[in-house]
Amino acid sequence: MHRWVGPAAILFACSLACVASSPPQSLHGGEELQISDNEPGRYGGTLTVAQRSEPKTLNPVTAADAPSREVIGRLTADLIHINRASQQTEPALAKSWTVSKDGRVFTLKLRRGLHFSDGQPFDADDVLFSFQVYLDEKIHSPQRDLLVVGGKPMEVQKIDQYTVRFTLAQTYAAAERLFDSLAIMPRHLLEQSYKDGKFAQAWTLTTPPSEIAGMGPFRLKEYVVGEKIVLERNPYYWKADRNKNRLPYLDELIFLFVGNEDAQVIRFQAGDTDLISRLSAENYMLLSKDAANRGIQLFDLGPSLEYNFLVFNLNDVQARNLDKIAAEQTWFGDLKFRQAVSSAIDRDGIVKLVYAGRGTPLWGNASPSNKFWVDQALLHPARSIGHAKELLKSAGFSWRNDGQLLDPRGQPVEFSIITSSSNTQRSKMATIIQDDLSKLGMNVHVVPLEFRAMLDRILQTFDYEAAIMGLGGGDADPNPEINVWLSNGGTHLWHLDEAKPATDWEAQLDQLMQKQMVALNYKDRKHLYDQAQEIIANEVPFVFLATPNILGGAKRSLANFKPAILEPTALWNVEELYFLPANGAGAKQ
Amino acid sequence: MQGSRKIIASLVFLFFLHVAILFAGFVAPCDPATQNREFPFAPPTHLHFVDARGRLHFRPFVYPIVPQPGALYQYEETRERAYAVRLFVRGPEYKVAGLFPSHLHLFGMDAPARIFLAGTDNYGRDQFSRILFGGQMSLAAGLLATGISLVLGLIVGCIAGFYGKWIDESVMRLVELFMVLPWLYLLLAVRSFLPLHLTPAQAFFLLIGVIGTIGWARPARLIRGVVLSARSRKYVMASRGFGASDFYIVRRHVLPHTYGVLLTQAALLVPQYIVAEVTMSFFGLGLSEPRPSWGNLLAVLQQYNVVVSYWWMFAPALALVLVNIGYLGVANAFHEQLQSGSM
Amino acid sequence: MKYLQRRLAHSIVLLISASVFCFLLSDLAPGSFFDEMKLNPQISPGTVAALRSEYGLDQALPVRYGLWVKSVLRGEWGYSFAYNFPVRSLLIIRARNTLLLTSLAMLLAWLTALPLGVWIASRPGRWDDRLSMAGTSLLLAVPELVLALGLLYVVIRTRALPAGGMVSVRFEGLSLWAKICDLSAHLVVPLTVLVLASLPILVRHVRASMTEVLQAPFIQAACGHGIGQARLLFRYALPAAANPLISLLGLSVAGLMSGSLLVEVITGWPGLGPLLLEASMSRDLYVVVGVVMASTVFMILGSLLADVMLVIFDPRVRAD
Repeated sequence: MHRWVGPAAILFACSLACVASSPPQSLHGGEELQISDNEPGRYGGTLTVAQRSEPKTLNPVTAADAPSREVIGRLTADLIHINRASQQTEPALAKSWTVSKDGRVFTLKLRRGLHFSDGQPFDADDVLFSFQVYLDEKIHSPQRDLLVVGGKPMEVQKIDQYTVRFTLAQTYAAAERLFDSLAIMPRHLLEQSYKDGKFAQAWTLTTPPSEIAGMGPFRLKEYVVGEKIVLERNPYYWKADRNKNRLPYLDELIFLFVGNEDAQVIRFQAGDTDLISRLSAENYMLLSKDAANRGIQLFDLGPSLEYNFLVFNLNDVQARNLDKIAAEQTWFGDLKFRQAVSSAIDRDGIVKLVYAGRGTPLWGNASPSNKFWVDQALLHPARSIGHAKELLKSAGFSWRNDGQLLDPRGQPVEFSIITSSSNTQRSKMATIIQDDLSKLGMNVHVVPLEFRAMLDRILQTFDYEAAIMGLGGGDADPNPEINVWLSNGGTHLWHLDEAKPATDWEAQLDQLMQKQMVALNYKDRKHLYDQAQEIIANEVPFVFLATPNILGGAKRSLANFKPAILEPTALWNVEELYFLPANGAGAKQ
Repeated sequence: MQGSRKIIASLVFLFFLHVAILFAGFVAPCDPATQNREFPFAPPTHLHFVDARGRLHFRPFVYPIVPQPGALYQYEETRERAYAVRLFVRGPEYKVAGLFPSHLHLFGMDAPARIFLAGTDNYGRDQFSRILFGGQMSLAAGLLATGISLVLGLIVGCIAGFYGKWIDESVMRLVELFMVLPWLYLLLAVRSFLPLHLTPAQAFFLLIGVIGTIGWARPARLIRGVVLSARSRKYVMASRGFGASDFYIVRRHVLPHTYGVLLTQAALLVPQYIVAEVTMSFFGLGLSEPRPSWGNLLAVLQQYNVVVSYWWMFAPALALVLVNIGYLGVANAFHEQLQSGSM
Repeated sequence: MKYLQRRLAHSIVLLISASVFCFLLSDLAPGSFFDEMKLNPQISPGTVAALRSEYGLDQALPVRYGLWVKSVLRGEWGYSFAYNFPVRSLLIIRARNTLLLTSLAMLLAWLTALPLGVWIASRPGRWDDRLSMAGTSLLLAVPELVLALGLLYVVIRTRALPAGGMVSVRFEGLSLWAKICDLSAHLVVPLTVLVLASLPILVRHVRASMTEVLQAPFIQAACGHGIGQARLLFRYALPAAANPLISLLGLSVAGLMSGSLLVEVITGWPGLGPLLLEASMSRDLYVVVGVVMASTVFMILGSLLADVMLVIFDPRVRAD
């Protein structure tokens, strides 16, 4: 009577567990899956990852902040994807595509037989709908600006049920890369809210999971406000390993909201989370002390793509009642002044004290790890206070008896550097630079401001003298960063709102960047971009400082872990990750 | 009387503390801004009294440290030569009480030995010197803000208590309003729209002014209470009968009652405002580099790796606690005097 | 009754003035929520400007204030730019977490301070009196910040307790008893800091007012009647000494929402503190106003409660 209760209960529990963790759908013919050539793994396990703040929304069109995009990236898929390890594009939802000779027309063939995570079929109508929303001016999607090339938005045309044609107004070199991270959304779930004009309110964090579906490796299971967001395996995911096992291997992916990096480190040490990325050097040192005991593997991928720099305010401030700054711009505008500052800065000290040695000094905007685009021929002059003083002397500066630097008109050289108070690394750089420049007799004040207040001064009011900032890291290709170097670009920080290029070299830079944007041949583009980098390094619009190494860690039991330099460093191949069994059988490092 | 002995004891303790801090330039061996970039996060210097041969020396000595090869932020002593700690040495220049320059320091070392009594920070700056110089700023902040609060509180409290009725009501509602607002947000906002062209020291003291201005509420309430009770005394009414003006009555009869409260409040508020400065710096609103204050010295403890690995960075907390003990001792003593005096 | 009516009217005026003050202040602070998007090189300035106007950020202050009041009456309490939904839902969860922490702390602090203060007051000048004065002095001298950091250091070094956060990762899957244990383990650090921070003042005040009362003639008379120590202290002296303590209690209740900001931020407790900090740093205007309003409401409740209790418990007040 009672003998079968036990086994039945176990069976029941197992089936419950299976239902609870949404096992992968078995493969059927007609599905054109992408076969991934990773090391085959085993099913099961939950990966827990920490995020610094909560995602604000799950709507791919309105999301602008990093945590939201990180989660959305696991729930959705794009047509053409940039492989984070190779930094090249590869097919995703589009299995192949052809490009017209002039590089303006892309005809993409979609995979057939695929389904969204709720089981509904995927076809060209979904692609059309998605792009319709992205390009809709009334919705103000941040992605819209990406799709406006040559002043006109991209045109999207349905050729047949599984073929879509994209036409650009002009040639664009990195056009394929535009498609990366443009999530394809389900028409059957979102069309209604779009027609009702309520699209921006769709897919917020309070939306029930049944109303959210995507083509990503995971689908939403649960959101607990202020704590975590739980994703479960997408049973219909369109990738499989070579043994025809449908990916992903993991049952669940949990994002924990852990306020700051230190708290993340504590959780990681305690084993609450399985991996940690964007680690600072000091915490890396801390973790490496007993990494072996705790079963942790740490990684140091070398320099990141980010560049930190000191920028001087060269904006037009005449009309704005900022007389003091206008007077100081006679110093900032002098190339020799900027070169002297650059020569006096102890970049090695910055790498040692700010990045605990795990960083690389920079003299240009391309990081050494950007193997496809960095200009290897650029000079890396050593630090020299003497050389800096020579430059200043030749520019007409002099020194008072107490060592204070005086400008050609006899005014003491005194200015402030603003930094973001929440960014410890850049604040530390400011302290080091302040000390370095005091050796030149400059009286520098460090003013940490709250991040948004700082941005306001740099982008709106121009009420600042110098600032330390960081940019880059998004993609290796020069095009996404083009607005920094174009004179009318929105992030041309040292001199915004230029009606026309203010200097000859900026005009030259404009031409070079425009040309490389439309050149289709990599060699041509590289040559043009090399010239641009030389101009940037010689004219010093930014005094480049250093870049941190990409550091992070994961549990040793996590297999197929291949962190990359491009974001998302650890999770870009989340569908391939799996946990090794506890006894280490089948383990392969 | 025992009460006054307690007051004197606390005051003497505070006095010595303040003198040491006032003459920070003399007592501290290093300049607080000098970065020794080869020695970031060096632990406190090990003072030896017994040499290699087992002999005891009165004068402590030091072995110079060098960075351990291969490990970052780790150091080891080189035992080749011992350097004695010397008294009354010539060192980096400083200004005595901000007025005239001097080179004399209480103690110091010959290079290449260094004496870091409280270790160094991220940039290799001597923490002991920074704590002393930081005390100057933190104490000044506390005293200044307290002064502002008390003056404001006195004026408002007197007016409210003396004139009573609707003035009193409206002032008390204003007091409640001030006690309810998140002062942190207020400070964030004020810091952000300050003009950049104030020197950082000016910006700092302006913020102290703001703290003092927000904090008038509690003293005002207390003063009001005292004034209310003083106002109804018989001799005040008699004074009025004699034709005394309001101002005379307040000055001559009411104010003396407030001295006790003012003194106690002062002794209580100074440490509170010092702690407020510490909290401000914790959120990055305090004095900016390279000037030290106890607040920004402690702010580095926000970083987990510092808390775990570099225990000597807690030293400013000790200084803070000592100062607090001193002031609270004084406040206690005053309070007891008040109690016994007025009963 | 009339007194209560007047107090209520005053409270409403206070609420309104606090909200106006907040709005004014946030207007002064430069920068708006969308400034971070401006730094993204791929978003055009036109897009950002359009979003600004959509959220009404370029309308006049009185208009925005009016819109907010309407939203409050609707029950939404304004709209969060960051989270893209009404402030109310955010507030409720965070407020619950904060209240859990602060009300427990208040309970513990009072339950410890009352008997301790009363007992010490009954033995003036003895060694335990001196010890408690010294102890409270020491505790008063250590700022909350240092207490929190120090405790965190100890916990991290000894690995005895979880260092931060409110619950573990696996909380949902635990049994009820395990959940309680887990929550308690996380509560220890912030609770200890809050209790230690408020204990000295409470003990001192209880002791002070008890000492005053114990010198009154009626106590000595009661003593002469032969009434036992405990009964004397708690049944006769304490109610007489209650007046300032009730005001203090009111202050404690008033601080339930706002007193724990620093502790929450340092220990990572997901309450109103970190929310306020994040929102004021990112200029999420309506969240800040919402949090300020919440703490104002408690402040008013606290003093109202104190006044009502005074009237009920202290006959001397009624006589006035």
